Amino acid sequence: MAEFTLDCLGEACPVPLMKTEKKMSELAVGDVLIVSIDHSCAMKNIPEWARKQGYNVEIEEVDDGEWEVVIEKTK
Amino acid sequence: MSETSQVSSASSIRRSSASSRRKPKKNQIPYGILVVLFMVVVGVVQARRDPMLGFYWMMGCIFGFILQKSRFCFTASMRDPCITGSTSVTRAVLTAFAITTLMFTAIKYGYHSMGLPIPGMSYVTPISFATAVGGILFGIGMVIAGGCASGTLMRVGEGFIMQMLSLFFFVIGSLVGAAHFGWWKEKFIVHGPSVFLPDVFGWVGAVVVQLFIIACLYKAAILWEEKKMGGNEE
Repeated sequence: MAEFTLDCLGEACPVPLMKTEKKMSELAVGDVLIVSIDHSCAMKNIPEWARKQGYNVEIEEVDDGEWEVVIEKTK
Repeated sequence: MSETSQVSSASSIRRSSASSRRKPKKNQIPYGILVVLFMVVVGVVQARRDPMLGFYWMMGCIFGFILQKSRFCFTASMRDPCITGSTSVTRAVLTAFAITTLMFTAIKYGYHSMGLPIPGMSYVTPISFATAVGGILFGIGMVIAGGCASGTLMRVGEGFIMQMLSLFFFVIGSLVGAAHFGWWKEKFIVHGPSVFLPDVFGWVGAVVVQLFIIACLYKAAILWEEKKMGGNEE
């Protein structure tokens, strides 16, 4: 299982979500994607989308107003 | 809110660079107390000048807080169904519309039944082709800018720098629009019919018709989400 990162710092909605969607489709099952975001909306809609896809999602606040969304492609 | 509950410390996903970038965070509570004090002082000062100013200040602060905490976003309500098929924000907006319908009808009917002039009737404006064109232009603009008026203001308050650019051009655009508005109004807008639903359907009828339309949109939103996202949930 590989680990990928996606830098979406400074990107407003809906760009982080669309980039994540695209990147996830390239990943193999079992891979992990870490998305860095600083737009508070993306912290809502990326996990919502990923959970609806059935992926494992975790959010980590790395700094004030800066988050890492960790998504595991489970299928 | 859910923000804290979602940030779990016990990681179930294995990752090699666990919390490599996590920095010690400053305690923000003293700043929060200072801001609340500032808000109260400004509110009291304004209210002494004019009670309505204090009321506006208070409503503004409350709206901002709710908007930020709920991530209520009119842009997302129109955009997400097209991008991901998610309609949760769309349904939140429809619910808000339904509540406002009931509340505003109650206020307006209250005035009407007492024989007083109905408040807010200056917002019953003519509808025409211009309404649709304006809606499409606004829609394109808000998706590119990443927020409508309230959303942009809320994110500027959060400190998202890109949206300060949006706010700057939003102000410029509004000024240009305000300067030209008279011409558009005279040439296009006033020719359309203005409809106040209670005049057409009666007070009860207007509420029923409006809530029925909102309920249909709500159902459509659910079906849309199932169609767009349902295939992935096995």
